[in-house]
Amino acid sequence: MENILVQIGELLNNLGPLIILPIVILIIGLILRMKLLEALRSGVLLAIAFVGIFLVVGLLGEELSTIGAAFAEKTGTGLDIIDIGWPAAGALAFSSPVGNLIIPIGIAINLILLFGGLTDTLDIDIWNFWHMAFIGAVVQFITGSFVLGLVAAAINVVFALFLADWSAALMQKYFKLPGLSFPHLQSAGYLLLAAPFAWLINKIPFLKKLHLDPDTIRKKIGILGEPMFLGLFIGILLAAFAGKDAAGVILTGINTAAVMVLVPKMVSLLMEGLTPVADAARDFMMKRAKGKEIHIGMDSAILIGSPAVIASGILMVPVEIGLALLLAPLGNRTLPYIDLADGVFVTAMLAPLVAGDVLLTVILGAIVMGVGMIFTTLLAPAVTHMVETVGGVDIPAGYTTYTVMSDAAIPHAYATYYIFQSPVVIALIVSFVLLAVMYFIKKKYPLGGEK
Amino acid sequence: MKKVFIVCATGIATSTMLKVKIEKFLDSKGIEAELHQYRIAELSPDRVNADVIVSTTSVPDDISEKAPVIDGLPLITGIGQDKVFEELYKKLS
Repeated sequence: MENILVQIGELLNNLGPLIILPIVILIIGLILRMKLLEALRSGVLLAIAFVGIFLVVGLLGEELSTIGAAFAEKTGTGLDIIDIGWPAAGALAFSSPVGNLIIPIGIAINLILLFGGLTDTLDIDIWNFWHMAFIGAVVQFITGSFVLGLVAAAINVVFALFLADWSAALMQKYFKLPGLSFPHLQSAGYLLLAAPFAWLINKIPFLKKLHLDPDTIRKKIGILGEPMFLGLFIGILLAAFAGKDAAGVILTGINTAAVMVLVPKMVSLLMEGLTPVADAARDFMMKRAKGKEIHIGMDSAILIGSPAVIASGILMVPVEIGLALLLAPLGNRTLPYIDLADGVFVTAMLAPLVAGDVLLTVILGAIVMGVGMIFTTLLAPAVTHMVETVGGVDIPAGYTTYTVMSDAAIPHAYATYYIFQSPVVIALIVSFVLLAVMYFIKKKYPLGGEK
Repeated sequence: MKKVFIVCATGIATSTMLKVKIEKFLDSKGIEAELHQYRIAELSPDRVNADVIVSTTSVPDDISEKAPVIDGLPLITGIGQDKVFEELYKKLS
């Protein structure tokens, strides 16, 4: 059994995502009862999206890989690891060998847990399975084993569902979205770390009085909500500090803006291919879950229109940059970059913990990202390996390495990476103990009060 | 031609899913309309020249004053899709 899996892993590795993904999507589509031509269209569209993504990620590699190192050297901050942002990370995770199989694995595990009565969440957010694949890909890097990568991804599918169950009542109440839950690690992944701190700062009366008005913040600095300008500003600032000449400074600004605008365009194409598959998967799962009391698992993106989330998300831009500099003496090497545009995902599920208070949400965000930056630094070798092997980007020796703020900052992503460095048996036992603890927490102490 | 703004948090993920479905629906009805995708945070009131906004996330008041907003969430969850299409059809015809 193990042998067959290893061979599958090698085959996936050798053929690469451009060949594997259309075939995998076609097969999944047919299993989910899509029409042949529609399934084929989805598969090919996905492959086309990846051609585009790799082109743009290449731009990131060639134009920007020297900036981080130059910035670190000139400023003496030591921040030489650059954040590539979640859109690129998501695409890369999907095209990793673990990512190729994450959709059927995710669906299967979810249905098993649902029928076993262990979860109430039916995760129809197929795209965001990439977060679990990301952790799997990282584990594959550290262990060299495709099988263990799959196991790690599977464990994280369960973990994401438990986090969604745990927070469902609170999210439904706060955002007035009955029947939904959010197994989206890019937001839910921070909850476990944030919850105790939220409990603590909710007790400090002084902080609560400094009420920041979310609407004023959004209107005043809303331009930072536009990735194009944010990219331009950050690129220019970075290049200026890195000591580039005037032309180089402007060029870096333009290139950063280009990455922030172009990668998402390509990912949007990917979503276009994925939509019919996601629909089919939803119908497939819903049919089998009929008669069950379920929460539908969704992308935390739908929470982000809330003014408190937007305002605190925008404020995370200066906060993250400040934290990176402040934590540099403590070992942080991560330079926040592309994911600065999406601080809203960090704050989306934190805001309800403090009743939507902007200042308190930003404090929670600062805590999870401050701790997270140490993790992003530690996970950089694994992420760089993924960018090089899956994305086909050559990084000149001695230059910048890469990380991903959105995902490498999630505590249990690093925990999984750490655990899987021990012998397999121990890794598995520890993982199951952690899952059991999480199950206990969600049963006994659901967020948002009684169940 | 009528303009539809399709809005979500990122301008990438759920808004693309909406776009695919709305395109398909409009095609089947023979309605022509311009579809634009936006992220919620970049939408300022002076930019909104849409006939209707379909969003998967909540839309701030200063923007919903400028154009009627339809909740697009049912198109993602699959529960109550027809109502969304019906509303959209009314706004565009």
